[in-house]
Amino acid sequence: MAKKTYDLLFKLLLIGDSGVGKTCVLFRFSDDAFNTTFISTIGIDFKIKTVELQGKKIKLQIWDTAGQERFHTITTSYYRGAMGIMLVYDITNGKSFENISKWLRNIDEHANEDVERMLLGNKCDMDDKRVVPKGKGEQIAREHGIRFFETSAKANINIEKAFLTLAEDILRKTPVKEPNSENLDISSGGGVTGWKSKCC
Amino acid sequence: MEAPPLREEEGEEGDGNEAGPEGALGKSPSQLTAEDVYDISYVMGRELMALGSDPRVTQLQFKIVRVLEMLEALVNEGSLEAEELRMERDSLRQEVQALRGGGAPAAGEVNLGPDKMVVDLTDPNRPRFTLQELRDVLQERNKLKAQLLVAQEELQCYKSGLIPPREGLEGRRQNDALVAGAGNASANKEEKTIIKKLFFFRSGKQT
Repeated sequence: MAKKTYDLLFKLLLIGDSGVGKTCVLFRFSDDAFNTTFISTIGIDFKIKTVELQGKKIKLQIWDTAGQERFHTITTSYYRGAMGIMLVYDITNGKSFENISKWLRNIDEHANEDVERMLLGNKCDMDDKRVVPKGKGEQIAREHGIRFFETSAKANINIEKAFLTLAEDILRKTPVKEPNSENLDISSGGGVTGWKSKCC
Repeated sequence: MEAPPLREEEGEEGDGNEAGPEGALGKSPSQLTAEDVYDISYVMGRELMALGSDPRVTQLQFKIVRVLEMLEALVNEGSLEAEELRMERDSLRQEVQALRGGGAPAAGEVNLGPDKMVVDLTDPNRPRFTLQELRDVLQERNKLKAQLLVAQEELQCYKSGLIPPREGLEGRRQNDALVAGAGNASANKEEKTIIKKLFFFRSGKQT
Protein backbone atom coordinates (compact mmCIF):
# COMPACT_ATOMS: atom_id res chain seq x y z
CA MET A 1 0.00 0.00 0.00
CA ALA A 2 2.81 2.34 -0.82
CA LYS A 3 1.39 4.67 -3.45
CA LYS A 4 -1.91 5.29 -5.19
CA THR A 5 -2.24 5.31 -8.97
CA TYR A 6 -5.20 7.61 -8.65
CA ASP A 7 -7.54 9.16 -6.12
CA LEU A 8 -10.72 9.44 -8.15
CA LEU A 9 -12.25 7.83 -11.19
CA PHE A 10 -14.45 9.94 -13.44
CA LYS A 11 -16.46 8.46 -16.26
CA LEU A 12 -16.97 10.76 -19.22
CA LEU A 13 -18.92 10.22 -22.42
CA LEU A 14 -18.59 11.75 -25.88
CA ILE A 15 -21.73 12.04 -28.01
CA GLY A 16 -22.75 13.84 -31.20
CA ASP A 17 -23.42 13.22 -34.89
CA SER A 18 -21.28 10.86 -36.92
CA GLY A 19 -18.15 12.50 -38.33
CA VAL A 20 -18.00 15.56 -36.05
CA GLY A 21 -14.67 14.36 -34.62
CA LYS A 22 -15.49 12.75 -31.26
CA THR A 23 -12.84 10.05 -31.68
CA CYS A 24 -10.28 12.62 -32.88
CA VAL A 25 -11.01 14.90 -29.90
CA LEU A 26 -10.43 11.96 -27.57
CA PHE A 27 -7.36 10.76 -29.46
CA ARG A 28 -5.82 14.23 -29.22
CA PHE A 29 -6.45 14.32 -25.49
CA SER A 30 -5.31 10.78 -24.68
CA ASP A 31 -2.44 10.33 -27.14
CA ASP A 32 -1.74 13.91 -28.27
CA ALA A 33 -2.06 12.77 -31.89
CA PHE A 34 -4.31 13.33 -34.87
CA ASN A 35 -5.29 11.19 -37.83
CA THR A 36 -7.16 12.49 -40.88
CA THR A 37 -8.56 9.15 -42.02
CA PHE A 38 -12.20 8.75 -41.08
CA ILE A 39 -12.95 5.44 -39.42
CA SER A 40 -16.45 5.24 -38.06
CA THR A 41 -16.49 4.04 -34.45
CA ILE A 42 -18.16 0.67 -34.02
CA GLY A 43 -20.63 0.98 -31.18
CA ILE A 44 -18.55 2.09 -28.24
CA ASP A 45 -14.91 2.40 -27.26
CA PHE A 46 -13.01 4.00 -24.41
CA LYS A 47 -9.69 5.48 -23.43
CA ILE A 48 -8.09 6.19 -20.08
CA LYS A 49 -6.14 9.27 -19.10
CA THR A 50 -4.99 10.24 -15.64
CA VAL A 51 -4.82 13.95 -14.84
CA GLU A 52 -3.94 15.88 -11.73
CA LEU A 53 -6.37 18.47 -10.39
CA GLN A 54 -6.16 20.28 -7.06
CA GLY A 55 -3.53 17.86 -5.88
CA LYS A 56 -5.66 14.85 -6.72
CA LYS A 57 -4.89 12.22 -9.30
CA ILE A 58 -8.00 11.72 -11.31
CA LYS A 59 -8.39 8.83 -13.67
CA LEU A 60 -10.63 9.75 -16.57
CA GLN A 61 -12.34 6.85 -18.23
CA ILE A 62 -13.64 8.41 -21.42
CA TRP A 63 -16.24 6.60 -23.45
CA ASP A 64 -16.37 7.31 -27.16
CA THR A 65 -19.68 6.52 -28.82
CA ALA A 66 -20.59 5.86 -32.44
CA GLY A 67 -22.61 8.77 -33.85
CA GLN A 68 -24.41 6.60 -36.37
CA GLU A 69 -28.09 6.02 -35.75
CA ARG A 70 -27.78 2.24 -36.10
CA PHE A 71 -25.68 2.05 -32.91
CA HIS A 72 -27.97 4.17 -30.76
CA THR A 73 -29.51 1.35 -28.76
CA ILE A 74 -26.01 0.27 -27.78
CA THR A 75 -24.62 3.72 -27.06
CA THR A 76 -27.55 5.03 -25.05
CA SER A 77 -27.07 2.27 -22.50
CA TYR A 78 -23.73 3.86 -21.62
CA TYR A 79 -25.23 7.25 -20.73
CA ARG A 80 -26.30 6.09 -17.28
CA GLY A 81 -22.80 5.56 -15.93
CA ALA A 82 -21.44 8.87 -17.17
CA MET A 83 -20.60 11.68 -14.76
CA GLY A 84 -19.78 14.09 -17.56
CA ILE A 85 -21.01 14.22 -21.14
CA MET A 86 -19.38 16.11 -23.97
CA LEU A 87 -21.76 16.90 -26.80
CA VAL A 88 -19.77 17.55 -29.96
CA TYR A 89 -20.85 19.22 -33.20
CA ASP A 90 -18.92 20.26 -36.28
CA ILE A 91 -18.80 24.01 -37.04
CA THR A 92 -18.63 23.16 -40.78
CA ASN A 93 -21.75 20.96 -40.61
CA GLY A 94 -25.03 22.75 -39.97
CA LYS A 95 -26.96 19.51 -39.55
CA SER A 96 -24.72 18.42 -36.68
CA PHE A 97 -25.54 21.71 -34.95
CA GLU A 98 -29.29 21.36 -35.56
CA ASN A 99 -29.14 17.91 -33.98
CA ILE A 100 -27.86 19.28 -30.66
CA SER A 101 -31.39 19.48 -29.29
CA LYS A 102 -31.89 15.83 -30.20
CA TRP A 103 -28.71 14.85 -28.34
CA LEU A 104 -29.70 16.96 -25.33
CA ARG A 105 -33.02 15.13 -25.28
CA ASN A 106 -31.12 11.83 -25.31
CA ILE A 107 -29.15 12.99 -22.28
CA ASP A 108 -32.38 13.91 -20.47
CA GLU A 109 -33.83 10.51 -21.25
CA HIS A 110 -30.87 8.24 -20.56
CA ALA A 111 -28.29 9.95 -18.34
CA ASN A 112 -28.18 10.68 -14.63
CA GLU A 113 -29.98 13.84 -13.66
CA ASP A 114 -26.89 15.47 -12.16
CA VAL A 115 -24.63 14.67 -15.11
CA GLU A 116 -22.23 17.49 -16.01
CA ARG A 117 -22.75 18.55 -19.63
CA MET A 118 -20.51 20.44 -22.02
CA LEU A 119 -20.93 21.58 -25.64
CA LEU A 120 -18.00 21.48 -28.09
CA GLY A 121 -17.94 23.05 -31.57
CA ASN A 122 -15.15 21.04 -33.18
CA LYS A 123 -13.06 21.67 -36.33
CA CYS A 124 -12.65 25.37 -35.50
CA ASP A 125 -9.40 25.37 -37.50
CA MET A 126 -11.52 25.19 -40.68
CA ASP A 127 -12.80 28.75 -40.52
CA ASP A 128 -13.13 29.00 -44.32
CA LYS A 129 -15.73 26.22 -44.24
CA ARG A 130 -17.54 27.42 -41.13
CA VAL A 131 -21.35 27.46 -41.30
CA VAL A 132 -22.12 27.69 -37.58
CA PRO A 133 -21.08 31.06 -36.08
CA LYS A 134 -19.43 30.88 -32.68
CA GLY A 135 -22.20 33.05 -31.27
CA LYS A 136 -24.84 30.43 -32.09
CA GLY A 137 -22.91 27.81 -30.15
CA GLU A 138 -22.52 30.17 -27.22
CA GLN A 139 -26.21 31.01 -27.32
CA ILE A 140 -27.50 27.45 -27.26
CA ALA A 141 -25.04 26.60 -24.47
CA ARG A 142 -26.26 29.58 -22.46
CA GLU A 143 -29.89 28.56 -23.00
CA HIS A 144 -29.15 25.15 -21.50
CA GLY A 145 -26.81 26.42 -18.83
CA ILE A 146 -23.83 24.43 -19.99
CA ARG A 147 -20.23 25.25 -20.82
CA PHE A 148 -19.09 25.75 -24.39
CA PHE A 149 -15.76 25.59 -26.19
CA GLU A 150 -14.80 25.74 -29.81
CA THR A 151 -12.15 23.09 -30.33
CA SER A 152 -9.87 21.67 -32.96
CA ALA A 153 -8.49 18.18 -32.53
CA LYS A 154 -6.35 18.77 -35.60
CA ALA A 155 -4.80 22.06 -34.48
CA ASN A 156 -4.94 21.08 -30.79
CA ILE A 157 -7.12 23.99 -29.74
CA ASN A 158 -8.96 23.88 -26.39
CA ILE A 159 -8.94 20.07 -26.23
CA GLU A 160 -7.13 19.69 -22.94
CA LYS A 161 -8.88 22.75 -21.56
CA ALA A 162 -12.28 21.24 -22.29
CA PHE A 163 -11.53 17.91 -20.61
CA LEU A 164 -9.89 19.51 -17.60
CA THR A 165 -12.74 21.98 -17.16
CA LEU A 166 -15.28 19.17 -17.28
CA ALA A 167 -13.25 17.15 -14.78
CA GLU A 168 -12.99 20.20 -12.49
CA ASP A 169 -16.73 20.75 -12.64
CA ILE A 170 -17.31 17.14 -11.64
CA LEU A 171 -14.67 17.34 -8.93
CA ARG A 172 -16.34 20.42 -7.47
CA LYS A 173 -19.55 18.55 -6.80
CA THR A 174 -17.95 15.28 -5.79
CA PRO A 175 -18.50 14.70 -2.08
CA VAL A 176 -15.32 13.87 -0.21
CA LYS A 177 -15.62 10.29 0.90
CA GLU A 178 -13.52 7.95 2.94
CA PRO A 179 -11.21 5.71 0.97
CA ASN A 180 -12.93 2.74 -0.49
CA SER A 181 -11.95 -0.21 -2.64
CA GLU A 182 -11.32 0.16 -6.32
CA ASN A 183 -14.15 -0.17 -8.71
CA LEU A 184 -13.21 0.02 -12.34
CA ASP A 185 -16.59 -1.03 -13.57
CA ILE A 186 -16.55 -1.57 -17.28
CA SER A 187 -20.09 -2.72 -17.84
CA SER A 188 -22.75 -0.33 -18.97
CA GLY A 189 -24.79 1.39 -16.35
CA GLY A 190 -23.92 1.91 -12.73
CA GLY A 191 -22.04 5.15 -12.10
CA VAL A 192 -18.72 4.77 -10.41
CA THR A 193 -17.00 7.29 -8.17
CA GLY A 194 -14.54 5.25 -6.27
CA TRP A 195 -11.90 6.50 -3.92
CA LYS A 196 -9.17 4.11 -4.56
CA SER A 197 -6.37 3.04 -2.33
CA LYS A 198 -4.18 0.47 -3.85
CA CYS A 199 -0.61 -0.63 -3.97
CA CYS A 200 1.94 1.10 -6.25
CA MET B 1 -27.75 9.79 -100.91
CA GLU B 2 -29.55 10.67 -104.08
CA ALA B 3 -32.30 12.21 -102.06
CA PRO B 4 -31.21 15.87 -102.03
CA PRO B 5 -31.14 16.41 -105.82
CA LEU B 6 -34.46 14.55 -106.10
CA ARG B 7 -35.97 16.79 -103.49
CA GLU B 8 -34.88 19.85 -105.42
CA GLU B 9 -36.68 18.52 -108.51
CA GLU B 10 -39.83 17.75 -106.60
CA GLY B 11 -39.96 21.03 -104.74
CA GLU B 12 -41.27 21.69 -101.25
CA GLU B 13 -44.47 19.72 -101.33
CA GLY B 14 -42.77 16.34 -101.06
CA ASP B 15 -43.37 15.83 -97.32
CA GLY B 16 -46.67 14.16 -96.70
CA ASN B 17 -48.76 11.47 -98.30
CA GLU B 18 -51.10 14.08 -99.67
CA ALA B 19 -48.40 14.81 -102.28
CA GLY B 20 -49.50 11.63 -104.06
CA PRO B 21 -47.25 8.97 -105.52
CA GLU B 22 -44.63 11.58 -106.47
CA GLY B 23 -44.21 12.57 -102.79
CA ALA B 24 -42.30 9.36 -102.07
CA LEU B 25 -39.32 10.73 -104.00
CA GLY B 26 -39.08 13.66 -101.58
CA LYS B 27 -38.78 11.49 -98.50
CA SER B 28 -35.65 10.96 -96.43
CA PRO B 29 -34.19 7.48 -97.18
CA SER B 30 -34.52 6.41 -93.55
CA GLN B 31 -38.27 7.13 -93.62
CA LEU B 32 -38.91 5.17 -96.81
CA THR B 33 -41.45 2.32 -96.67
CA ALA B 34 -42.21 -0.46 -99.13
CA GLU B 35 -45.34 1.49 -100.05
CA ASP B 36 -43.15 4.44 -101.09
CA VAL B 37 -41.04 2.15 -103.28
CA TYR B 38 -44.22 1.03 -105.08
CA ASP B 39 -45.19 4.68 -105.58
CA ILE B 40 -41.79 5.41 -107.07
CA SER B 41 -42.10 2.38 -109.40
CA TYR B 42 -45.46 3.68 -110.56
CA VAL B 43 -44.10 7.15 -111.32
CA MET B 44 -41.00 5.87 -113.12
CA GLY B 45 -42.94 3.27 -115.11
CA ARG B 46 -45.30 5.94 -116.32
CA GLU B 47 -42.42 8.19 -117.44
CA LEU B 48 -40.61 5.33 -119.19
CA MET B 49 -43.75 4.47 -121.11
CA ALA B 50 -43.99 8.07 -122.24
CA LEU B 51 -40.53 7.69 -123.79
CA GLY B 52 -41.96 5.22 -126.31
CA SER B 53 -40.86 1.69 -127.26
CA ASP B 54 -37.24 2.27 -128.09
CA PRO B 55 -35.34 -1.04 -127.37
CA ARG B 56 -32.78 0.94 -125.32
CA VAL B 57 -35.61 2.17 -123.12
CA THR B 58 -36.81 -1.40 -122.66
CA GLN B 59 -33.31 -2.47 -121.67
CA LEU B 60 -33.11 0.36 -119.15
CA GLN B 61 -36.55 -0.58 -117.84
CA PHE B 62 -35.37 -4.08 -116.79
CA LYS B 63 -32.46 -2.60 -114.91
CA ILE B 64 -34.66 -0.02 -113.21
CA VAL B 65 -37.11 -2.71 -112.11
CA ARG B 66 -34.24 -4.74 -110.68
CA VAL B 67 -32.92 -1.71 -108.77
CA LEU B 68 -36.40 -1.00 -107.40
CA GLU B 69 -36.74 -4.62 -106.25
CA MET B 70 -33.43 -4.32 -104.43
CA LEU B 71 -34.60 -1.08 -102.84
CA GLU B 72 -37.83 -2.78 -101.74
CA ALA B 73 -35.88 -5.60 -100.05
CA LEU B 74 -33.61 -3.12 -98.26
CA VAL B 75 -36.53 -1.01 -97.07
CA ASN B 76 -38.34 -4.09 -95.73
CA GLU B 77 -35.24 -5.28 -93.91
CA GLY B 78 -34.64 -1.84 -92.46
CA SER B 79 -38.16 -1.48 -91.13
CA LEU B 80 -37.96 -4.93 -89.52
CA GLU B 81 -34.73 -3.99 -87.78
CA ALA B 82 -36.21 -0.69 -86.64
CA GLU B 83 -39.17 -2.54 -85.15
CA GLU B 84 -36.87 -4.93 -83.27
CA LEU B 85 -34.83 -2.02 -81.89
CA ARG B 86 -37.99 -0.26 -80.78
CA MET B 87 -39.12 -3.33 -78.87
CA GLU B 88 -35.72 -3.71 -77.23
CA ARG B 89 -35.72 -0.05 -76.25
CA ASP B 90 -39.15 -0.36 -74.68
CA SER B 91 -38.21 -3.39 -72.61
CA LEU B 92 -34.98 -1.69 -71.43
CA ARG B 93 -36.99 1.35 -70.45
CA GLN B 94 -39.28 -0.82 -68.36
CA GLU B 95 -36.30 -2.47 -66.71
CA VAL B 96 -34.76 0.90 -65.81
CA GLN B 97 -38.05 2.06 -64.38
CA ALA B 98 -38.36 -1.05 -62.23
CA LEU B 99 -34.80 -0.63 -60.94
CA ARG B 100 -35.36 3.05 -60.18
CA GLY B 101 -38.48 2.20 -58.22
CA GLY B 102 -36.37 0.20 -55.74
CA GLY B 103 -36.94 -3.07 -57.54
CA ALA B 104 -39.75 -3.90 -55.18
CA PRO B 105 -42.66 -3.74 -57.61
CA ALA B 106 -40.90 -5.97 -60.16
CA ALA B 107 -42.73 -9.10 -61.17
CA GLY B 108 -42.41 -12.24 -59.05
CA GLU B 109 -41.19 -10.58 -55.86
CA VAL B 110 -42.67 -10.90 -52.41
CA ASN B 111 -44.57 -7.84 -51.31
CA LEU B 112 -42.79 -6.74 -48.12
CA GLY B 113 -44.00 -4.43 -45.42
CA PRO B 114 -42.65 -0.87 -45.11
CA ASP B 115 -40.02 -1.76 -42.48
CA LYS B 116 -38.77 -4.95 -44.09
CA MET B 117 -35.69 -5.52 -46.17
CA VAL B 118 -34.46 -8.22 -48.50
CA VAL B 119 -31.11 -9.85 -47.72
CA ASP B 120 -29.02 -11.08 -50.61
CA LEU B 121 -27.63 -14.39 -49.33
CA THR B 122 -24.84 -14.33 -51.91
CA ASP B 123 -23.52 -10.97 -50.70
CA PRO B 124 -20.42 -11.60 -48.57
CA ASN B 125 -21.08 -8.31 -46.76
CA ARG B 126 -24.70 -9.08 -45.88
CA PRO B 127 -25.77 -8.43 -42.28
CA ARG B 128 -25.22 -11.54 -40.19
CA PHE B 129 -25.07 -10.61 -36.51
CA THR B 130 -27.62 -9.26 -34.13
CA LEU B 131 -27.33 -6.09 -32.13
CA GLN B 132 -27.16 -8.18 -28.97
CA GLU B 133 -24.19 -10.10 -30.33
CA LEU B 134 -22.44 -6.85 -31.20
CA ARG B 135 -23.22 -5.48 -27.76
CA ASP B 136 -21.71 -8.58 -26.13
CA VAL B 137 -18.59 -8.49 -28.27
CA LEU B 138 -18.05 -4.80 -27.56
CA GLN B 139 -18.55 -5.32 -23.84
CA GLU B 140 -16.06 -8.15 -23.81
CA ARG B 141 -13.58 -6.14 -25.86
CA ASN B 142 -13.84 -3.20 -23.49
CA LYS B 143 -13.53 -5.42 -20.43
CA LEU B 144 -10.37 -7.01 -21.80
CA LYS B 145 -9.04 -3.59 -22.74
CA ALA B 146 -9.59 -2.38 -19.19
CA GLN B 147 -7.84 -5.44 -17.81
CA LEU B 148 -4.95 -4.89 -20.19
CA LEU B 149 -4.63 -1.29 -19.06
CA VAL B 150 -4.57 -2.32 -15.41
CA ALA B 151 -1.94 -4.97 -16.16
CA GLN B 152 0.16 -2.48 -18.14
CA GLU B 153 -0.04 0.01 -15.31
CA GLU B 154 1.05 -2.55 -12.79
CA LEU B 155 3.89 -3.69 -15.02
CA GLN B 156 5.00 -0.09 -15.30
CA CYS B 157 5.10 0.13 -11.52
CA TYR B 158 7.41 -2.88 -11.35
CA LYS B 159 9.57 -1.65 -14.20
CA SER B 160 10.07 1.78 -12.71
CA GLY B 161 11.00 0.16 -9.41
CA LEU B 162 8.15 1.81 -7.57
CA ILE B 163 7.39 -1.48 -5.88
CA PRO B 164 10.06 -3.99 -4.94
CA PRO B 165 8.85 -7.37 -6.28
CA ARG B 166 8.36 -8.76 -2.77
CA GLU B 167 6.25 -5.90 -1.51
CA GLY B 168 4.32 -5.92 -4.71
CA LEU B 169 3.29 -9.49 -4.26
CA GLU B 170 2.05 -8.86 -0.77
CA GLY B 171 0.35 -5.67 -1.76
CA ARG B 172 -1.34 -7.48 -4.54
CA ARG B 173 -2.51 -10.21 -2.26
CA GLN B 174 -3.99 -7.67 0.06
CA ASN B 175 -5.65 -5.97 -2.81
CA ASP B 176 -7.08 -9.20 -4.08
CA ALA B 177 -8.47 -9.85 -0.64
CA LEU B 178 -10.03 -6.42 -0.66
CA VAL B 179 -11.71 -6.97 -3.99
CA ALA B 180 -12.66 -10.57 -3.51
CA GLY B 181 -13.54 -10.25 0.14
CA ALA B 182 -14.06 -13.97 0.52
CA GLY B 183 -10.61 -15.30 -0.29
CA ASN B 184 -9.17 -14.64 3.18
CA ALA B 185 -8.81 -18.19 4.43
CA SER B 186 -6.49 -19.20 1.67
CA ALA B 187 -4.70 -15.83 1.65
CA ASN B 188 -3.58 -16.29 5.26
CA LYS B 189 -1.92 -19.54 4.44
CA GLU B 190 -0.04 -18.12 1.49
CA GLU B 191 3.29 -17.22 2.94
CA LYS B 192 5.25 -19.03 0.25
CA THR B 193 6.65 -17.32 -2.79
CA ILE B 194 5.87 -18.66 -6.22
CA ILE B 195 9.31 -20.27 -6.38
CA LYS B 196 8.68 -22.01 -3.10
CA LYS B 197 5.29 -23.18 -4.23
CA LEU B 198 6.76 -24.60 -7.37
CA PHE B 199 9.59 -26.16 -5.42
CA PHE B 200 7.26 -27.87 -2.98
CA PHE B 201 5.04 -29.01 -5.77
CA ARG B 202 8.00 -30.68 -7.43
CA SER B 203 9.47 -32.27 -4.34
CA GLY B 204 6.01 -33.46 -3.38
CA LYS B 205 5.68 -35.14 -6.71
CA GLN B 206 9.00 -36.87 -6.35
CA THR B 207 8.33 -38.40 -2.99
